[in-house]
Amino acid sequence: MRVRCEEVRELLPELAEPGPRPAGPVEAHLAGCPNCSAGLTVYHDLLISLAEAREIDIDPPADYLDRTLRAVRFGMWTSRVPTLADVRRASDRVGATLARAPRAGYALASLGGAAVGATAIAVVWWRVARRAVTGGAA
Amino acid sequence: MVSPELLAACRRGDRRAFEELVRLTGRRVYSLAYRMVGDRQDAEDVAQDAYLRMYRGLTGFREEARFETWMYRIVANCAITHLRRRGRFGMVSSDEDLDVPVPDYAAQRAVDRDELERGLAALPEGQRIPLLLKDVYGLSVREIAEELDVGEGAVKVRLHRARKHLAASLSQGHERAGEV
Repeated sequence: MRVRCEEVRELLPELAEPGPRPAGPVEAHLAGCPNCSAGLTVYHDLLISLAEAREIDIDPPADYLDRTLRAVRFGMWTSRVPTLADVRRASDRVGATLARAPRAGYALASLGGAAVGATAIAVVWWRVARRAVTGGAA
Repeated sequence: MVSPELLAACRRGDRRAFEELVRLTGRRVYSLAYRMVGDRQDAEDVAQDAYLRMYRGLTGFREEARFETWMYRIVANCAITHLRRRGRFGMVSSDEDLDVPVPDYAAQRAVDRDELERGLAALPEGQRIPLLLKDVYGLSVREIAEELDVGEGAVKVRLHRARKHLAASLSQGHERAGEV
């Protein structure tokens, strides 16, 4: 099967990519057509130049690096302060854990109850002790 | 460009190591950002956003060999977000430039670096960004499709048009140079 120049030219931008090309009518056409072959060389050179452009940096404005470092330092500092979203995520995680393990919820509730009870006893004890001290003084 | 030791220190949350990484990659990151957004101040904003995202994302990053690709993807993502905020994302997500010029192969010579940069900058955003990410920065078609939120087929079509467009604009530049 023979292919025409118009058909081959439409394929040139992809044919120029690095890597082996499959043998077939397009390859045979390229071997015998100097115009299409020149077109392939153009795209091949273009892709090489584009790949080389990665290594060529564009000059940034003066003090770009200093400004970027300052912004990064500030961002690193603020990223340690928990945001509302972080608190919400932590709350969701606790909720999910409790939903997965109801016993953990009971344990947490018991622990909370014990803490509240101990605090109440301590307050009562402290007030009684204070009254005894101030009553003794009067 | 960035050693595995430096990356490991960054992952441990070593701030000085991260600052060193910024110093090492700063120009490369700025270059990609500038080529994508086409404005110096915007490119600087994109670079700063990208570094903050890198700082937050590095603790979970495990593929040292793919660090550069990961970095380019973050910069590209920040640039696309920036263009979207500026109301220019429509030009990125669609490719309405159906009139692709035909290059004059006979007029081609060696590719001049300044001409190449000018040709890149003149491409429509919908073509420039896939071309930059694939042919300059080496991302895969799949990675570009994910960043642009379009299909891989759409990326291939834009790449095809972008290469033809760029080849044509370079050949026109050569013709004009030949006339002088």
